[in-house]
Amino acid sequence: MTQLRNIAVVGFAQAPIVAHDAHRMSQEMLYPVVREALAQCGVERDAIDYQTAGSADYVDGRPFGFVAALDVMGTWPPRQDSHLEMDAAFAAHYAWIRMQAGECDTALVVGYGKVSEGQPERVLNLQLDPYYLAPLGLGPLSTSALQASAYMARSGATDRDLAEIAARNRAAGARNANAQLRTPASADELQRTAWAVEPLRQGYIPPIGESAVCVILAAQGKAESMTKQPAWIHGVDQRAELQTLGARDLTRSASARLACEKALAMAGLGGANDVDVIEMLTTNPVEEMIVRDAMGLPARGDTKPVINPSGGPIAGHPLMMTGLIRLGEAFRQLSGTADGHAVPNARRAIVHAGQGHALQQNLVFVLGRERRWS
Amino acid sequence: MKEPPVEPVKYVDANLYLPYRYVAGDYRARFFAAMKGKKFLGSKCSKTGKVFVSPLVNSPESFAPATEFVELEGRGIVTTFCVVNIPVIGRDLQLPYVAASVALDGADISIFGAVQECKPENVHMGMRVEAVWKPDGERTGSFDDVLYFKPTGEPDAPPESFINRL
Repeated sequence: MTQLRNIAVVGFAQAPIVAHDAHRMSQEMLYPVVREALAQCGVERDAIDYQTAGSADYVDGRPFGFVAALDVMGTWPPRQDSHLEMDAAFAAHYAWIRMQAGECDTALVVGYGKVSEGQPERVLNLQLDPYYLAPLGLGPLSTSALQASAYMARSGATDRDLAEIAARNRAAGARNANAQLRTPASADELQRTAWAVEPLRQGYIPPIGESAVCVILAAQGKAESMTKQPAWIHGVDQRAELQTLGARDLTRSASARLACEKALAMAGLGGANDVDVIEMLTTNPVEEMIVRDAMGLPARGDTKPVINPSGGPIAGHPLMMTGLIRLGEAFRQLSGTADGHAVPNARRAIVHAGQGHALQQNLVFVLGRERRWS
Repeated sequence: MKEPPVEPVKYVDANLYLPYRYVAGDYRARFFAAMKGKKFLGSKCSKTGKVFVSPLVNSPESFAPATEFVELEGRGIVTTFCVVNIPVIGRDLQLPYVAASVALDGADISIFGAVQECKPENVHMGMRVEAVWKPDGERTGSFDDVLYFKPTGEPDAPPESFINRL
């Protein structure tokens, strides 16, 4: 493995996830979060070399909507900037690449969007091809249900298995002050909720939520002075699958598997069992089972790494920033700032983020409390 | 290779329908409410004292919060302007018309509006203008409550008074 730069997450702030913030625009939600992340690091905006954001103009309902965030990101004097029409976790990966190239030592990564102002199922329908799939009116819930149905047929997973996974996430979410669903719910209760799109029940999927998120990355030499315990990035990889749903095996995630293998190899680890905590962007129990399987972990039951101690996306899924929150949560676990949902003695973490229908694109980070390269 | 069909389907129509309901936001809601009372609302930078109209949550320049609100009358100075000879989508204005940047008295950034009640060739930098509002009872708390700006007839403002607000 080529020698890479040691780069760490050194700050993370998020607005608690809510169904609808009736008083604030996305900039008004984002500004205090950026200030808080900078304050955590004890720096002002001039300490930041580079900024990048993940958001979607169709989610915001504002063409070129990403430019609106510039005024609240500390962009002046003019700073290097980029924007990804993807979950902001992918923007963090992009910032890591820019830092590896030696172009910057510090980066501010934000995710934002007023998801409640539009109709996400309608918007995300447009991610499908416009000839065959989009005209059917399929939204991500329907494609997830297609995937769930296929997975349950292949694996033998039952409605009860789904309910138990949802209940575990809900119990964890109750301990996370930033989660949207903060009341635990038993598997029995969740199994009695109505079908959203069969075989997925209302109790297995997150409600619409919105937030604003900021992560600060810094390279060795800067990171140590910005936080007591940086969360060093040991490995990262990102893979995408085909757009044509029919050409994919929906019961497995080849891209999550490969991204995880590559990221673990970069980190010098043998497998996902070598970490203590995993935060994954899985928006229903079947996605969680598929990603667990892709990571070489049992699809059901307890695992050595604690999965989604934050409650995960099932307890709060602010579209376009849910993945960046996973990265921030890993930082909180490794830096000892996870408070009520802390995993004791967490030394290594895996972060999974995704994008697109039925786990189309997958990104995996491996992080640790120690620096990776000497 | 087979030839393509003689009468191929050349196009697939897709009509997107994406409804949104925007939150005005705390600052914007206050700004619109002030317009009902024929005032422009600005916010003041806590670090530099600069006043932004319409109000911004923070100074983009200093990055400090702008938490204090300031009410401004609708009088100011034409800084830069242009004479529009092409139809504008969504506005029923007689051509040509003047689109101007107006630095309101007490504001450190300018807002944009049309200048009417004078010939386009008479509009110039430094010209004093005032807002013409919709009549009482017709204002709804929207940016349309300002119909346009018109000259006040006052002497021109000296360039140094607005040169930093272009």
